Amino acid sequence: MTTTTTTPLQKFTVPVLLLAALAALCFGAQSGMMNLYVQSVIMFMGINIILSSSLNIVNGYMGEFACGHAGFMAVGAYVSSILSVWLFADDAVFGTAVLSPSLAVWLFPVVILAGGVAAAFAGLLVAVPSFKTRGDYLAIITIAANYIVKSTIENVGAIGGARGFMGMGRVTKAMDASLPLPWMMIWVFAGTVMTVWLINRFVSSTQGKGIIAICQDEIAAEIMSVNTNKMKIVAFMLSSGLAGVAGGLFAHVLGYVNPGSFTIMKSTECMVMVYLGGMGSLGGSVLSAVLFTLLLEALRPLQIIKWVVIPLMLVLLMQFRPEGIMGNRELPQLFPKLKKFYKFK
Amino acid sequence: MLSVENLHVRYGNIEALHGVSFTLERGEIVTLIGANGAGKTTTLHSIMRLPPPEAPRVTQGDIRFEGASILGVEPHDVVRRLGIGLVPEGRRIFGNLTVQENLTLATYARKDDSAAVQQDLGRVFELFPRLKERQRQLADSLSGGEQQMLAVGRALMSRCEVILLDEPSMGLAPLLMFDMFRTLKHLNEEGLTILVVEQNAKVALDFAHRGYVMDTGAIVAEGTSAELRADPSVKKAYLGG
Repeated sequence: MTTTTTTPLQKFTVPVLLLAALAALCFGAQSGMMNLYVQSVIMFMGINIILSSSLNIVNGYMGEFACGHAGFMAVGAYVSSILSVWLFADDAVFGTAVLSPSLAVWLFPVVILAGGVAAAFAGLLVAVPSFKTRGDYLAIITIAANYIVKSTIENVGAIGGARGFMGMGRVTKAMDASLPLPWMMIWVFAGTVMTVWLINRFVSSTQGKGIIAICQDEIAAEIMSVNTNKMKIVAFMLSSGLAGVAGGLFAHVLGYVNPGSFTIMKSTECMVMVYLGGMGSLGGSVLSAVLFTLLLEALRPLQIIKWVVIPLMLVLLMQFRPEGIMGNRELPQLFPKLKKFYKFK
Repeated sequence: MLSVENLHVRYGNIEALHGVSFTLERGEIVTLIGANGAGKTTTLHSIMRLPPPEAPRVTQGDIRFEGASILGVEPHDVVRRLGIGLVPEGRRIFGNLTVQENLTLATYARKDDSAAVQQDLGRVFELFPRLKERQRQLADSLSGGEQQMLAVGRALMSRCEVILLDEPSMGLAPLLMFDMFRTLKHLNEEGLTILVVEQNAKVALDFAHRGYVMDTGAIVAEGTSAELRADPSVKKAYLGG
């Protein structure tokens, strides 16, 4: 291992640029330069980045084929929505607010994280069978997990069942009332940056290399003293937990959730983003989430035809560039000059 | 140090080993020789306690390490706690990681500082200078011989005291093969205990102190290398007359 020193340029360029860009976007939202539509597209971009990069842990780095990401998103969305409505808003089902709505601003991250933790535990539903099951069979289990979550929510009347659950709008309003800032956008940005940072740290650590080893050869990983079962639990829980964070943010951005948003269709969208960006490329996941969100919006005028065009694009992608936009690589590997500005392991 | 006692092993309904017994003492080089399908690899996999689908299920008998049964030990603990390393058949290196990443991965479960890892890395590079030259290359881009070096180096990185080698000569040019065995011999002189499985009986017997001959799931002959080399039936079956 050669120890290269980090120049200040490498250390600060990306964080400073990123912070400036995000602050500019928040200012744009605050001052009304961006209308609500543009704001919501930007927030969905952030949420999609969380979804695609977290699914990439399992589908890309670990090489499994999990297709139930929306299920974990649903767990996070419902748990954090119920918590925030119960704590900070007067509601017909949950009664008056438990805490003062003015606290919502400060406790909101806790609520979102609680949704993430709940989703992480839901991830065990897939992680434990994965000890002995791989490939197609595990894929079927993940689809089943998605349906279990969706159908369970549909059948619990207290949280609205198939009609959905609302009231998060009152919580976001309460945040605005106590301090007028574009709060949801700030939280989405915070969640996105945290997710990408966390995953980057994870996959470049020796621990994370254990996951890449599992992807390549489980037996060889074991004889390298990698506790494969433990690593699978870590990977699935991290992946589903972050999906839960995305779900919580999604619910609060929309102000309304229903089980219909978390079908296999949504899981497929997550997978499309992962494979579009490139398996095992974090940069690819971020890039493809941005592109995919823009694409969905750009094709909106086509209405229902959109879902003919997008799958067709996917077919073409798989034909001509099956490794995705970035393949297995990260940005600095594609553009070595970037290394001057950013140190990437 | 390591003793296998009357080991019966099944894959599903098929019994692959019918009562295999042998011992391995500290500091020894022992070889298991035999034809394809004799159960050599199964024996190694049983010792490593590998998980499904490779898992041979032990139905009878025991494997003991320093006197204690290891049948209930998880494979990653066999490596980490007991210090038994495996160089698997076909090497099974991680092709999309660099040489250096492959080697450091083996220190995965070790809690000690990076200085100790660096030291071990230095030792492996000293044994296999080729790996040092190629430390930043993807393991996929190595030649067969280099990959075998990497597989052995990787096992050494886990600080094993016993190393199980599964067909180390497979796919190697004779010169590289002799190089490999010379390095292993050197490691043995430094205290590494070696159990080597080979189809190439002649090379294996030249290399090992003692040997066992396996045939269809059982040990059919045993003795020192010289004894086995002189044994007419071993000569006829495995050494080409």
